[in-house]
Amino acid sequence: MVSLGRGVTRAGRKFRTRISEILIFFLPLLFFTAILYFMVIWTIYISFSNWEGVEPKYDFAGLRWYELMFSLSRTHIDVRNNLTWLIVGVLPTLFIALFLAYFLEIWGARKGESIIRTLILYPASMSFIVTGTIWSWMYQPDKGVINTLLRMLNLSFLESRFITDPATANYWLILIFIWQYLGFAIIILQASFRTTELQEMVEAATIDGAGKLNTLFRIILPNIRGGILILLSLLLISALKVFDIVYIVTFGGPGYSTDVLAFFMYIATFQQHLVALGACLAVIIFVIAFILVIPYTLYALKRWFT
Amino acid sequence: MFRVFKQKYPDVQIVENPVAGGGGVSHRVVLQARLAAGLPPDTWQTLGGAELKAYVDGGYLVPIDDLWDELNYANAIPKPLADMVTIGGHRYTVPLNIHIQNILYYDNKVFSELGLKAPTNFDELMNVVKAIKGAKPNIWPLALGTKEKWEAAFVFDAIFLEVAGPEGYVKFYKGLSDPRTDPAFRTALEKLKELQPYIYPYHSGLTWDESCGLVVSGDAAMVTMGTWAIGYFQSRGWSAGKEFGAVTYPQKPERILLGHTDSYGMAKGAPHPRTCRDWLRTVASPEFQIAVDVTQGGLFARLDIDPKEFPDPVRQEMQSYLRSNPGKLILDQHGSIAPFSFTQAYWDVMAAFIVEPNVEKTISDVAALFETYKVKEEAAWYHWGAV
Repeated sequence: MVSLGRGVTRAGRKFRTRISEILIFFLPLLFFTAILYFMVIWTIYISFSNWEGVEPKYDFAGLRWYELMFSLSRTHIDVRNNLTWLIVGVLPTLFIALFLAYFLEIWGARKGESIIRTLILYPASMSFIVTGTIWSWMYQPDKGVINTLLRMLNLSFLESRFITDPATANYWLILIFIWQYLGFAIIILQASFRTTELQEMVEAATIDGAGKLNTLFRIILPNIRGGILILLSLLLISALKVFDIVYIVTFGGPGYSTDVLAFFMYIATFQQHLVALGACLAVIIFVIAFILVIPYTLYALKRWFT
Repeated sequence: MFRVFKQKYPDVQIVENPVAGGGGVSHRVVLQARLAAGLPPDTWQTLGGAELKAYVDGGYLVPIDDLWDELNYANAIPKPLADMVTIGGHRYTVPLNIHIQNILYYDNKVFSELGLKAPTNFDELMNVVKAIKGAKPNIWPLALGTKEKWEAAFVFDAIFLEVAGPEGYVKFYKGLSDPRTDPAFRTALEKLKELQPYIYPYHSGLTWDESCGLVVSGDAAMVTMGTWAIGYFQSRGWSAGKEFGAVTYPQKPERILLGHTDSYGMAKGAPHPRTCRDWLRTVASPEFQIAVDVTQGGLFARLDIDPKEFPDPVRQEMQSYLRSNPGKLILDQHGSIAPFSFTQAYWDVMAAFIVEPNVEKTISDVAALFETYKVKEEAAWYHWGAV
């Protein structure tokens, strides 16, 4: 009897630990996913509704707003601009960060490293509202810092209209993004360089007489695929959801040359009072984001099961 | 702003609920959420016209015809102003002021140096900009900031009003004329194209106040802006009649004031209906309008207030003109006649036009907007004159 009783207590204790484990780990997760996916489903639902104007209208409108969205030339321009952001914003950031991180790894005086790290991480710690304002002052064509400096140095032929030139405005905005995310990217890459395994491999390669670039491309790159995938996914998502830089610096102009889906979503919902159209745009952004994270998801799943 | 109300009704506590980040847009985001959630404030500020109509369509405001009768407000203000807040025959809000949109501000020093007079129509405007460009190549004749897009429509509107005439103007924004065949629309675009080389070229990066700043800093000689610019110039130490002059434009062939109004209504299900009515009575009162409008830049809604209450000669003159010609006021496209879904997209097209003036493309773009956003049905509520 006694032993049985003790056994039950032990089992009961185990069971209780289980419950507290479940509570600690799964409740926050549930809370997080429930809110997130409830919002997603709600948005999809609204995108098929007829909500136009201030008053919520939930009656089914089918594909009406999707049809309108795809018929608007603004949507097409925005998708193109978003793709430009994804390509021109993310790839250079990744490559420059890779070289800089490696450079710091090899030549970076170990003592000065913390200072350098703080310096390069500093832009990432500021909000886009701040950096956007600063950059829009620098870009200002007639009185901005950049053109004024160029004039002082007798380099007037390099002067640009920057964000007021419809042909190039989008690229000047992307440059702000690259500048701001570079430090962040370097830190993530540096962290993935520093596994003991990799360090040993690099050491072995160096002893075997491998050159610096060879080491980077043959040894390091293949071994930090995980880090690169995470970074790439984070950068892609950040570039896709860009809103604040556009809002602060150009407001989508001149014309629609710097307009992006997220900005149009805001205008459609709160300025045009076309809430269903705003929801359609949100769904499109969600779908693109979903596609973008597929490579990382596959990688993560593969690691999970092997 | 609340001081006068406090004096009249000392026992009422006003809970101000300003939205951080300023500007009418952020305010609308929060309000829209509160209304959708069924938690309306007692009252809020709305533009007469399309914005008001959106709230009325949503069933968020109650008619206040009895209050209007009690105050005899219809006889106190210009009829076109009353029409801006009348939907389906009912009055929904109390107009507090009138913001005039079509005003040309100019640097008095430049004008007197070159012996120029304020232009009253497009031909005179062209002569003035050419004279300025010729004599002072370092000064942009016309400042502009189109970052928020609506500013572009102001410049176009003034030209369009002259070409189309007041009825043509109203008809157009009611969606009753086809941009593809309306000769006035095409002509006005061509005129704006003619003016474009004299406009500050980096306008897409500036907001309206920054564009007025170009005049203060001496980089530009003129700017088209609403009455609210008076307050901006004053904050920069410029006073009307001294450093800067201002005229409504155009004045020929007919002097029309394009304007919109800030107004207050009563929410359906307002938590404190009686107090809210007291508030609306206050908004309609001369003391309140004098206290608020003088500092905030618009004209008085009431015609019985002495124009001399304004410290600046610019508004004194405009208010006197309105007093003797109350019928010359038209709800502008900014306020607006057409629904916001259209207006917002229309501003974008106009801002793009001033960057790259392509008449044909703009005509077809605007024609498409009228159809997409069903302006004809949505703007049918508004009437002016015989239109």
